[in-house]
Amino acid sequence: MDNPSPLRVSALLGTRHPGIYGNQEGPGLELGESANLTLHQVAFWTDTEAAVKAKIATAIGAETTPGPGQAVIGKRGCAIRIEPMKYWILETIPPTLTADEGSVVELSHARTCLNIGGEKAAELLNHFLPIDLRDAAFPANAVASTALHHVAVTLWRRQPSYRLFVPRGFALSLWELLFESGLQYGVEVR
Amino acid sequence: MSKRLDTKARIDRGRPLTFHWDGRTLPGYAGDTLASALMANNQRVVGRSFKYHRPRGIMSAGVEESGALVTLGDGNRRDPNVRATTQELYQGLVARGQNAWPNVRFDLGGAANLFSRFFAAGFYYKTFMGLPPFEWGRGTGYWMTYEKLIRRAAGMGEATRLPDPDIYDHVHGFCDLLVVGSGPAGVAAARLAAQAGLDVILIEQDFELGGSTLNRAEQATVDLSDTSVRVLTRTTAFGLYDNGVAGLLQRVTDHLSRPPPDQPRQRFWTVRATQTILATGALERSLAFGHNDLPGIMTISAARCYLNRFAVLAGQEITIATCNDSAYGAAVELAQAGAQVRVLESRTLAPQQLSQRALEAGIEIETNTAPLLARGGKSVEQIEVARGDGTAWRAGGVRACDLLLVSGGWSPVVNLQSHRGATPVWSRENACFLPGESDGSLHMAGSAAGIWGTDACVRSGEAAAAAAARTLGRTAPNVDAPRPGGWHHPIQAIYEIRVPGRRLKSFVDFQHDVTSDDVRLAKREGFVSVEHLKRYTTLGMATDQGKMGNIIGLALMAEALGKDIPEVGTTRFRPPYTPISLGALTGRNKARHFRAVRRTPMHDWNRAKNCTMTDAGLWRRPWYAARGEETLQQAYIREATTVRQAVGLCDVTSLGKIAVQGPDATEFLNRIYSNPFAKLAVGKARYGIMLRDDGLVMDDGTTWRLADTDYFMTTTTANAAKVLVWLEELLQLRWPDLKVHVTSVTDQWAACAVAGPKSRQVLEACFENAADVSDDSCPFMGVLQGHLKNGIPCRIARISFSGERAYEIYVPSDYGPALMDLLWAAAEPLAGCLYGLEALGTLRIEKGHVTGAELDGRVTIEDAGLGKMAAKNKSFIGSALRNRPALNDENRPRLVGIFPKDRAETFNGGSILCRPQTLSGHGEGWITGVTHSPTLGHWIGIGFIAGGHHPWSGKTVIAADPLRKGNIEVEIVSPQMVDPEGTRHYG
Repeated sequence: MDNPSPLRVSALLGTRHPGIYGNQEGPGLELGESANLTLHQVAFWTDTEAAVKAKIATAIGAETTPGPGQAVIGKRGCAIRIEPMKYWILETIPPTLTADEGSVVELSHARTCLNIGGEKAAELLNHFLPIDLRDAAFPANAVASTALHHVAVTLWRRQPSYRLFVPRGFALSLWELLFESGLQYGVEVR
Repeated sequence: MSKRLDTKARIDRGRPLTFHWDGRTLPGYAGDTLASALMANNQRVVGRSFKYHRPRGIMSAGVEESGALVTLGDGNRRDPNVRATTQELYQGLVARGQNAWPNVRFDLGGAANLFSRFFAAGFYYKTFMGLPPFEWGRGTGYWMTYEKLIRRAAGMGEATRLPDPDIYDHVHGFCDLLVVGSGPAGVAAARLAAQAGLDVILIEQDFELGGSTLNRAEQATVDLSDTSVRVLTRTTAFGLYDNGVAGLLQRVTDHLSRPPPDQPRQRFWTVRATQTILATGALERSLAFGHNDLPGIMTISAARCYLNRFAVLAGQEITIATCNDSAYGAAVELAQAGAQVRVLESRTLAPQQLSQRALEAGIEIETNTAPLLARGGKSVEQIEVARGDGTAWRAGGVRACDLLLVSGGWSPVVNLQSHRGATPVWSRENACFLPGESDGSLHMAGSAAGIWGTDACVRSGEAAAAAAARTLGRTAPNVDAPRPGGWHHPIQAIYEIRVPGRRLKSFVDFQHDVTSDDVRLAKREGFVSVEHLKRYTTLGMATDQGKMGNIIGLALMAEALGKDIPEVGTTRFRPPYTPISLGALTGRNKARHFRAVRRTPMHDWNRAKNCTMTDAGLWRRPWYAARGEETLQQAYIREATTVRQAVGLCDVTSLGKIAVQGPDATEFLNRIYSNPFAKLAVGKARYGIMLRDDGLVMDDGTTWRLADTDYFMTTTTANAAKVLVWLEELLQLRWPDLKVHVTSVTDQWAACAVAGPKSRQVLEACFENAADVSDDSCPFMGVLQGHLKNGIPCRIARISFSGERAYEIYVPSDYGPALMDLLWAAAEPLAGCLYGLEALGTLRIEKGHVTGAELDGRVTIEDAGLGKMAAKNKSFIGSALRNRPALNDENRPRLVGIFPKDRAETFNGGSILCRPQTLSGHGEGWITGVTHSPTLGHWIGIGFIAGGHHPWSGKTVIAADPLRKGNIEVEIVSPQMVDPEGTRHYG
């Protein structure tokens, strides 16, 4: 991958200050950001599913592509099944598709990726997300499209923490909400 | 009098506390409730009743409390109607009596009691509505006058009017099994379920686990820490809903003198449980007899609780009135604690074994006897008793006492089950409502199921847990569920004691001062349905929701009707089981988190350049960028002038952006836009209008053809989500055969409009090679993709909303600030400026360009003056229904420009356009936007008027704004008020 341009700035610039905050018994939470995201959406047509899946598997360096509500971490990158006919390809360049095979669109700047870790991570997320995050229901590499304070977000349990993809424009507002709610558990901002 | 004993109890004598009651400082201990501490300090009168201001004392030891309602806290944390019986004591707690002046011990409002015989059910309505004889048949004028005064006198306590300083959280929880209640049944259920491998949450409203076992002489501590059960104390299940959803309120800091910072005061839980066990126990009922609300009268179980849990002996000379066996254990314990105890047993025979033990403890037992009237000033001093003669009661002498304990039987807490729609079933044998049928996901256990013995309660909890586990496919031992019941000697249902010819004030609902006479009055006046009884007398409508009084009220109505209780029925219980604070419902969704805020990547950059921001939906957008002491008006006029004369930059990131991709993208666009898109060349943009199915305009924007099968659509800020949803709906439901994907890329791209005669010069300075943006490379409606000189990728279209030569330049969002630095460095030397929404409005009004203010869902494409954009030779969404005659009426309101007749005059947006002679009705049109036009030098407006501007040419029209500006004479002109030929933007 290219080195990120120094001109690229995060939506959390000026707000995310590393340190330990809130409950002194903590921190039960780690909040951070995976800045300089590389994210592309790859979509197939009903008659090109197999071909596109094969290309995605090759692109991320994995044997398979994820099923609905799942992610696969490959040798080169990761893929998330985001909609029935759409994947997100992360951390690597997406496959090249002809228009008849499918479509690719870049979303690297469209989302801010928050990292939420620590023993209270699921508890904090459940302050907002009405989804079952217990191990059996939401194991490693489970993915959910849900809503946080009425904003559409994507949650990926990427061990050891959670990745929360939020629309860039809402990132600061939702970060503040998560941070303030997390203070009761103690927060380490990274 | 009541006092603290030295006996072993659950209070922590190592942690003495002080608290403030009605201005006095009193001692207590950690582990006390406010009620137990008040009682330890011999505080008898702790409240005043709602209607008659009668003195009230502590009546229970739990959530059913109807007497000890107090106001807790000070200043911005003042909270009325707190039950002293459930409020944990903490150091420095401040509480006071309510509904009284100057205080609860001496309350001038108590005069109401003298007239109480007049204040029966419906008193105010009967007296003041159509006041006889003055208003007979002539309306409710007096009511309108007096209602305000009457309402002012009503109400209990007063909440603070200051903003709530606390934070509240919402939490979602998930479990296999939710157990409500930690008495013997609940704990047994949780243990067995956890052993069977279920993920269990157990909640308890008290601060200690144990339920009724906490009130026993032999103390045992419940500990579930050796299990996987998640335990939440100080947590109430306030409501049960469909699909296993339970609403919980967890009180996190209500028991702390100094809440730690960052901790929420309360958490509002939404728990989704696959199975639910309600082990919510049973509440002891009171009895209706004369002055049964006097301080010093409480339930038997309450006195037992205060004695064993809190080491408080509630009285010295105790009379116990009962109709069931549960009284005797308490009687013996109270006698052993040093009180003189007498039992009034309403049954003909006292249960032999139990009474034997009582007699040995020195307790006097009178059978066939019940209290008729309590006497005393502010506390009970004597009891007038009644003796049964087989069919009725007759007066039977007076007994002295300072505490009267009563038990009218036990009511299983079926409230939560009732929330789920189950109808409770009357059990004559147990003199109570038992839980009704519920679906397989909800189980009742313990005394909530009418099971009275402790061992049977444990078995019933285990049986419920085993059933829940098996439903979830786990193996669990077979436990036979015990049947309801368990009295050794039958309970004898008794609700009210009265004798013929004696008029007694016997309360049924203590919180709302509803008496047994009120119930009978309701019957006489025809309110015989329980639902009518409830609303007419307000029985069961107070904060306790009838926990103590409902059954008595139903029984009295049944008796008055000569029916059985099941025939009368019962009302449905509704959430919340106990009151919950509005703050908990709100959670964190208030103040700056009321709605999520959407910021553009240039937000901070704009702010640093002195932009004042404004709301545009959830977005924050630049409104104007004042220089020095400029006002809004001065700033926007300067900004608009600068755009017309030099160049301006405006952050337009909030525009909706949609990637439309696929082999059928062209066909798709051609179907959704009213104008032709089939032949748009790669590298070109086109303005498009999409209609709804009904032929009215939905949205407008530009669509750029980036490649053969790749389009970039922009929408208005307001309609971005609506348009995306609409396109998805069309693709998924109507045209699934089209190979097109649509994706929101609104957040992917930061956008800036560069507008003005010098806009190309600005862009030239931003590119390595100025020729890249020459008019040949980027003609009007041309699209460019490339890199700026700092290496940032960009896409540019030469499109204009302002009417000037203008470009919209898009870069990936993280580069937003870098883009602005680059553009500003180029624009500033050219005397350029930043402009905001206000100047944007000026520029577009001058040009007659429409926005959401005009495209309000009532407007056709012709109304908007864009009729030539509706293709005649193709079908598109809305193309059929737009041809309906009413949508093509010549006289429909059409887009026009508006000038004040006196050019020095101003007028308002929102004004109605009227003919000068007809300043009434809906007028001929309306004004959607106004601005000062720097180009024309006077105020102008945009709006709609019947038939458009031609028929109004040369006529005077009135812009009527009756609530603000009044009537202003205006002229109607073409909406293209500046540069109608478009020479400036074609440039």
